[in-house]
Amino acid sequence: MVATRFIGWLRRFEKWFGFVAAILIAAGLYTGLVTSSPDYYQGEVVRIMYVHVPFVQTAMLSYFTLFICSIWYLWKRESVVDNACHAAAGLSLFFTAGGLLTGSIWGKPTWNAWWVWDPRLTSFAILFLTLVGYLMLRTFLEDKEKGATFCAILAIIGFIDLPIIHFSVEWWRSLHQPSSISTRGISIAPDMMVPFTLMGVGVSILFAYMLMVRTQMLYLQHLLEAKQGRLLSEGQFE
Amino acid sequence: MAPPEGGAVKGLYLRWSILIVVFSVIGFLAISRYDREVRTISPKVLLSESPNTEKRLMGMIDAGSLKGGSDGMPFRFSLSSEGAKAPVVFSGDDRESLRDLKTIVVIGRWQADKGVFEAGEIALTPNYGFITSAYVFSLIPLILLIFSMERRVALLYVMIKDEKVYQAEV
Amino acid sequence: MHFFRVVKWIAWKDLLSEYRNRENISSMFFFALNVILIFSFSFSLDPETLKEIMPGIIWVAFGFTAIIGLGKSFLIEVNNDCMEYFQCLPVPKGAIYLGKFLGNLLFMLTVEIVLFPLFVLFFNLTLLDQFLPLLLISTVATIGLSALGTLFSALTVQIRAREVMFPILLLPLSVPIFIGAVEATRGALSGDPLSSYQHWIELLGVFDVIFVVVSFWIFEFILDY
Repeated sequence: MVATRFIGWLRRFEKWFGFVAAILIAAGLYTGLVTSSPDYYQGEVVRIMYVHVPFVQTAMLSYFTLFICSIWYLWKRESVVDNACHAAAGLSLFFTAGGLLTGSIWGKPTWNAWWVWDPRLTSFAILFLTLVGYLMLRTFLEDKEKGATFCAILAIIGFIDLPIIHFSVEWWRSLHQPSSISTRGISIAPDMMVPFTLMGVGVSILFAYMLMVRTQMLYLQHLLEAKQGRLLSEGQFE
Repeated sequence: MAPPEGGAVKGLYLRWSILIVVFSVIGFLAISRYDREVRTISPKVLLSESPNTEKRLMGMIDAGSLKGGSDGMPFRFSLSSEGAKAPVVFSGDDRESLRDLKTIVVIGRWQADKGVFEAGEIALTPNYGFITSAYVFSLIPLILLIFSMERRVALLYVMIKDEKVYQAEV
Repeated sequence: MHFFRVVKWIAWKDLLSEYRNRENISSMFFFALNVILIFSFSFSLDPETLKEIMPGIIWVAFGFTAIIGLGKSFLIEVNNDCMEYFQCLPVPKGAIYLGKFLGNLLFMLTVEIVLFPLFVLFFNLTLLDQFLPLLLISTVATIGLSALGTLFSALTVQIRAREVMFPILLLPLSVPIFIGAVEATRGALSGDPLSSYQHWIELLGVFDVIFVVVSFWIFEFILDY
């Protein structure tokens, strides 16, 4: 029983990830919101970056995890790996939505617009739509094994497409971009580096923790459903 | 079926209470830092309270009130908001930031005897609402998501171990 | 060779059945015609505006055509229980993909070639001197669209919400095709030399190669479970 051993392993080690993530994020929030000084250009608004950048990084990390797990699933066909894919996709959607939302809130005072067709924003919006499609496909495919295979294929295709999408959107923007909107990256002062690092590492570890919890949750849900299903069919025969 | 309350679920609530306390402390520290360093007062509050510590005053420069600034003379103008006006003397050299009808923040002290706010520095207009909403809209869903997942996992373990699952419903 | 015979016969079978009932091509064609009609009402048709939006109109019409035509590509196979026969074929399953892909590509190109004169007719364009570049752009873009469309058609064919899921999966991932095709068409319509929009065609070409190869390889997993 590979799955049982795997789930047992997750259950044993998850708390350490959760613990480390909580400490790092608490330290990151403390330095980011309390002790660090405001940015010279952006003022206090730079503090949004301490939550926005980790969210965006984690969204990409989780999509990469989804890609790796999808290949792993097509290779080994373990249903617990499919649970991990499903969990990674849900978390990726969550972090992508969070990244878009915080980016939009940051954009309003900085660019004076909630939304601009910046290459990064556009690519992320497309990633968001792809993930919504992925999760919808999962709910519509009733056969569990077929659903897992098809979703793994979709995730792999989407992952290969993502750099091309980003590249094409960047070219397209370089043609049409009005010069008034600056997409200048922020120059990171050492004072700001501390909360960035703490939050970045903290949220990544938190993602690992969430992935472990969510994989367990989906696995146990399917286990329970299978048991209850067997129960119902037994009840009918009696 | 009411969710069974096992020891795992109780441990979950305990863990989360500790977390909530820790994050509330950080939130409190952030709010007090905001009070200390970022919060501005309006001319109306300045005139009615006449505080004697360093304050940040926010208001709009009245049209036509901006004078001085040449030959080392300090700028003189009046800031207004909510119908109250406060005269300001600004000794810095920041010509670009000063313009009629612009909303600015000046840092300085209220000289009650002269009836003038002596400012030495101009700050960026605060937009803490954006920062607060960014943190609220990202961290609260995050916390709710993690909590609901952990709770579900704890309950599922209890439910699966529970013998009742194996019994046929009558 | 066995492999190419399978590719050829699957494409041939699709074309033959299409020739007999004309279901797919006529629905694609009349749908695109309706799209053009709606567009002509939606925008003011002075020549300056038209020049700006024409590439968009053309590629939105073609995009809808792809959604209508490609989404049903595998439906006929499922309805006639042909999927099991496909699984039994003693060739790499990619051959089946290539056959379906070629059939779809030919349908799409036929519809597009019929539609171009209608654009000329309805919007007073002069396409004749730009005919070859436009043909090149449509072919390269349609290859990419058919490659992704055929794959996603196989993914979505057996679910209830097929009509909804197919465009939801196809459109975000085919963004590079639409960007490249619209920008290249804009260049061609304004009469620029080929070199000024060549990079867009190269982008489309790279997209085509990647997705035909990846889909060919990954199709094994769709039929094989």
